[in-house]
Amino acid sequence: MNRGNKILKVENIDKNINNKQILQIRKYSVIKGKFNFIIGANGSGKTSLLNILSMIDNDYQGTIYYKGKIISKKERNCELRRRFSVIWQEPYLYRGNVYHNIALPLKLRGFNKKIIHKKVKNISQKIEIDDLLEQSVYTLSGGERQKVSIARALVTEPEILFVDEATTNLDEESINFFNSHFADLVTEEMTVVMVSHDRRQIKELADRIAYLKKGKILSSQAREEFDFSQLGAGICSSIEEIV
Amino acid sequence: MNYYSEAFREAFNLIITLDRELLNVVATSLRLSTSSTIIASTIAVPMAVIIARKDFSAKKFFNVILNTLLSLPTVVVGIFVYSLISRRGILGEYQLLFSSTGIIMGQTILILPLITALVRNTIFSLDEKLYKTAKSLGATKKQQFKLLIMEARYGIIGAVIAGFGRVLGEIGISMMLGGNIRGVTRTMTTAMALETNKGRFSFALALGIILLILSFTINFLVYFLQEGEHYEQR
Repeated sequence: MNRGNKILKVENIDKNINNKQILQIRKYSVIKGKFNFIIGANGSGKTSLLNILSMIDNDYQGTIYYKGKIISKKERNCELRRRFSVIWQEPYLYRGNVYHNIALPLKLRGFNKKIIHKKVKNISQKIEIDDLLEQSVYTLSGGERQKVSIARALVTEPEILFVDEATTNLDEESINFFNSHFADLVTEEMTVVMVSHDRRQIKELADRIAYLKKGKILSSQAREEFDFSQLGAGICSSIEEIV
Repeated sequence: MNYYSEAFREAFNLIITLDRELLNVVATSLRLSTSSTIIASTIAVPMAVIIARKDFSAKKFFNVILNTLLSLPTVVVGIFVYSLISRRGILGEYQLLFSSTGIIMGQTILILPLITALVRNTIFSLDEKLYKTAKSLGATKKQQFKLLIMEARYGIIGAVIAGFGRVLGEIGISMMLGGNIRGVTRTMTTAMALETNKGRFSFALALGIILLILSFTINFLVYFLQEGEHYEQR
């Protein structure tokens, strides 16, 4: 499959929680090898859409395609999910040390200890947390916790990396680290779906931008074509800063 | 006063000299309590996970029943199991009355709600993000369950130890279903009652001291596992 193809597509998605419609999406595609940004105000349904795209949430109506093939509910299993990784806004780290957490997805996939050790060492050096490997996760700062979760997401070399407002709760230094290193950590083959409010990220990383409002996608275009004037106050409203 | 100080002296002497009869009673108690705790935990842990994590119509009712059963008197369990395993009971033909199995059955029923409720509470208190993260890391259903148990392990161990402590100190079930048979169903608590009635106060006192030490150790372990220093970092 060439770069620029649709790797994921959703059609006629309806998601309700307690009889309230959260998402109503007629069509949305994720383009392979690109940084696909999803932006919108708080409560617009960005995380709900990300949960559906990453196949973590299966409780909705609609169709999801992966590489052009319809994926049934039964097929949205861990075998398929193992091709994806998610970096959450507030990462959950499992009891134990940093090494255990980064190695965990590899252990779940049945890699042997030698390969796990090599991969963990490699990714932790890239993210500059190799000195934290033996440390308990309960002693880490917010920025360090997010770095560990980034390492854990990237260690499996996912086909699609989902990022859910990864820098929202971080301090300035950690945001700068994320913004200056993130693009280098993502390989050419990797597709990124990113929910973000960060102007610098949108300016420097976005290839495509989808604008979500009240559960509906109002536009989904290449960054150069995207009309930033449609955004309300608070959501990257300063067009000059972005374009 | 002299009688009591003499009894204490003799009780300590029985403990220090590792009196054979005393050890026999302690061993019987530990054997029965361990068996019932293992059986109850094997049932309680998966049941607690289901109650905590699954949505089913009778969930509220189930939780109310579970909470009510927490304060179940041991004699009530004793009578209930007695009605099942006595000669005229539906399990009468298996001759379980006045046997180790009878006591184990009763003790298992006694601590099943306790362990289930404590494990359920532990799972309730876990961060909801744990489940989403496990899924996103590519865990199978079985691996998700294993991760959940690993995250809740200290709470689960604490619940199991609490259950063990409860059966170790109970008397109603052991007395009604065990019959206090020497070397078979004579537990620390039933032996204490018997020996006190017989006037062998020092022997009962020695068992009381051992029971107290065991209870203290159990409570210390539960505290250490659930609230101890650096709990968060373990």
